Amino acid sequence: MGAGLSMAEAAPRFEMRGIRRTFPGVVALDDVSFSCAAGEVHALCGENGAGKSTLIKVLGGVHQPDAGTILLDGKPVRLNHPLEARRHGISIIHQELSLLPERSVADNIYVGREPGRLGLLDRAAMRAGAETWLRRFGCRFGADAVAGSLSIAEQQVVEIAKALVFNARILVMDEPTAALDETETERLLALVRQLRAEGVAIVFISHRMRHLFAVADTITVLKDGKLVGTRPRGATSPEEIVRMMVGRELKDYYPARRARAPGAPVLTVAGGGNEWIEGIGFELYPGEIVAVAGLEGSGKAALGRAIFGAAPFSRGQMVVGGQAVRPNTPLDAIRLGIGYVSDDRKAEGLALRQSVLENALLAMRGIAAIFSRPGRTAPRGRGIDQLLREVDVRAAGYDQQIRLLSGGNQQKTVLARWLALAPRILVCAEPTRGIDVAAKAAIYRLLRAYADSGKAVLTITSDLPEAIGIADRLLVMHEGRLAGELPAGATEEDVVALAAGHQFEAAPA
Amino acid sequence: MSEAAAIAAPARARVRSGAWLAPAMIVLCSLAAYCVAAAATHQTGQISVDGFVGLIQRTVALGIVALGQTLAILVGSIDLSVATLVSVGAVMASWMMQGQPDMMVPASLFVLALSALVGVANGLIVTQLRVNPLIATLGVGLVLQGILSASFQDFAGSVPKEFQIFAYGTVGPVTLSILLMFALALVEWLALSRTRFGAHVYATGGNPEGARLAGIKTARVVVLAHMLCSLAAGLTGLYLASRLRSGAPWVGRDGVYDLESIAVVVIGGTVLAGGKGGVWGTMSGVILFGCLDAIFTMAGVDAFIKQVLRGAIVVAAVAAYAYRTKGHVA
Repeated sequence: MGAGLSMAEAAPRFEMRGIRRTFPGVVALDDVSFSCAAGEVHALCGENGAGKSTLIKVLGGVHQPDAGTILLDGKPVRLNHPLEARRHGISIIHQELSLLPERSVADNIYVGREPGRLGLLDRAAMRAGAETWLRRFGCRFGADAVAGSLSIAEQQVVEIAKALVFNARILVMDEPTAALDETETERLLALVRQLRAEGVAIVFISHRMRHLFAVADTITVLKDGKLVGTRPRGATSPEEIVRMMVGRELKDYYPARRARAPGAPVLTVAGGGNEWIEGIGFELYPGEIVAVAGLEGSGKAALGRAIFGAAPFSRGQMVVGGQAVRPNTPLDAIRLGIGYVSDDRKAEGLALRQSVLENALLAMRGIAAIFSRPGRTAPRGRGIDQLLREVDVRAAGYDQQIRLLSGGNQQKTVLARWLALAPRILVCAEPTRGIDVAAKAAIYRLLRAYADSGKAVLTITSDLPEAIGIADRLLVMHEGRLAGELPAGATEEDVVALAAGHQFEAAPA
Repeated sequence: MSEAAAIAAPARARVRSGAWLAPAMIVLCSLAAYCVAAAATHQTGQISVDGFVGLIQRTVALGIVALGQTLAILVGSIDLSVATLVSVGAVMASWMMQGQPDMMVPASLFVLALSALVGVANGLIVTQLRVNPLIATLGVGLVLQGILSASFQDFAGSVPKEFQIFAYGTVGPVTLSILLMFALALVEWLALSRTRFGAHVYATGGNPEGARLAGIKTARVVVLAHMLCSLAAGLTGLYLASRLRSGAPWVGRDGVYDLESIAVVVIGGTVLAGGKGGVWGTMSGVILFGCLDAIFTMAGVDAFIKQVLRGAIVVAAVAAYAYRTKGHVA
């Protein structure tokens, strides 16, 4: 008996052995083993489609494995339903947040396990419990706040509280930093370390090497449903992990910049402002990529939407190609030669149930005469099929529904949609959010090639290394204003200092 | 700059409040319009306890159906079979009773059991066969209406005098059926706001997949909501049989309870997609429709114009809610 107990103590909090799971036509997981001890952060990475999500869903009781066993504290268990996994202390924070936007924070934290007796809710206990969690995480909003009115980072904290409220002993976080800026990410990573110290077993899925290496004790890489390897953090490097993920060296991750001939700016904004931003002034030249960096809520997203006319400037001047303009709708902007890749691919970027082709044709159809029949032939004689091949969209066929494609291929399709119109200004908001490393590199190459063809690209990104890696110039925003401009080669410290507003504090001294 | 300060977003988190405000405004404006119309048409007799009781009395049938519809819509479903089910309830009740007092209880229980069964069928078709609720309940409604119309051509049987107490009995100046409607509303409100079932209703309607992953048996919640919705329709059938002294296969269709119940639920601020809204909004919509009816009757205006105005109000209400929500989000 004593021996059994010590065995259990030595066993990892959970262990998955030889997991296999197939879907019609696909082997999603093939003989994958994965484990995590109490007080360990185990990072799981791999390209999209590598099987991470399936593995997590097996652990969460959403999918049942065709073969293999799951052990909790050394004892084999069967997890047939998310509720069973939950009872075993397994909590999963999914990439797409599952909050109820119209309900309060307390309602959200306790959803599915509301405290109370005989079916009656104990609202006081819910509010008090929620407040305790929020205080512990240093949140400024209360338990009565409506979840939908919080920022993404704040909603993430609610998700974590929701997972922990049932004494989660195993916490799975699927891309928790994907929608967070640097400061929020730091905060989240600190929270992860705090939970680790409290003995929670944490599985951390991320595409961002820096975040993985900042927090993980162990890193496991999946590729094509198979286990590539598991490494202690100290014994590996980001380069090795990336190599394991893609199966080859990633050369020229960020494409080389090319010296450009200075010319007239294609876009000039002076004193631009609206409800969210103020006093915006900058110029954008043909042939360059300018990245806009800043914290969540700094107004960088609003700037992109203002230029594209989705939430237009109400003050100031905007000059495109030498002419003063005021695009008040996206259609105005498109007619001026401005394209916009949205940061919310699923909600704003794609018609999910329509084909790749229909999605690629969307922008062209938007400006076509209403009774014309735009077929597959794009302007300038280049077919949309050819364009999709050029951007390397991989699908069973271009008639396939786009929701079945990986995020990377979806994003390439969105890009092709705009390239078909050849806008002189392409605004890309979070162009690589939630897509895998190889697809990111491909997007970077496409954007650079587009800039090299004499067009201007404005990328708005929360991924700092990305902003620094691809941009010819950086604009940094802070509290709705441009805090400064940095040349290529700026360091992350330079950007963070501007984004956090440090130069304002230093100025009076 | 402290770390906490760096993280903290501006304090713009919205706290849920004023859930009572819109319904209260709707009720007040409706009653005010009613009083103005009564005064303007020199029917000040209508501005009295009896007048108001009469006003509310005429909304009871729609009110009870709409209370059920609120549940169906909150879980993200909808029920188009309620009008037919009202007819089924009314006909079956009076046909089984045939004026005999000792058949009152068995007939009523039979009607309620049948309604619950239809509701469970609706719920299962929606959750297990994954038929869009609009189509599922439309289909069930058509099937029921077909069977009913084939079996009964006219008023069938009658209810005994004792059963009419249900519609006409009074407690002081107020009728039993009005009290029943408000009691049901109160119970439903308590269930939605104070019980686990209510929390699960909002979770299921607000984010079905999220609710499922949180361990909520969403299918069961939807089936239960449909069952309660159909029970409300069956109960309304009993009420109409009691009020009309007999049931005919067209009483539900004539009342347009399907579309009108959806209309008042929506006027009350419940979102058609589910997950947001509540009982008092629905009740305010019911009272608004009741007042409109009364106003047009007092003014002696053509019923078609009333229909036009009702339609306009539904659209305007939804537009107003959409505008308000957009303002918050931006």
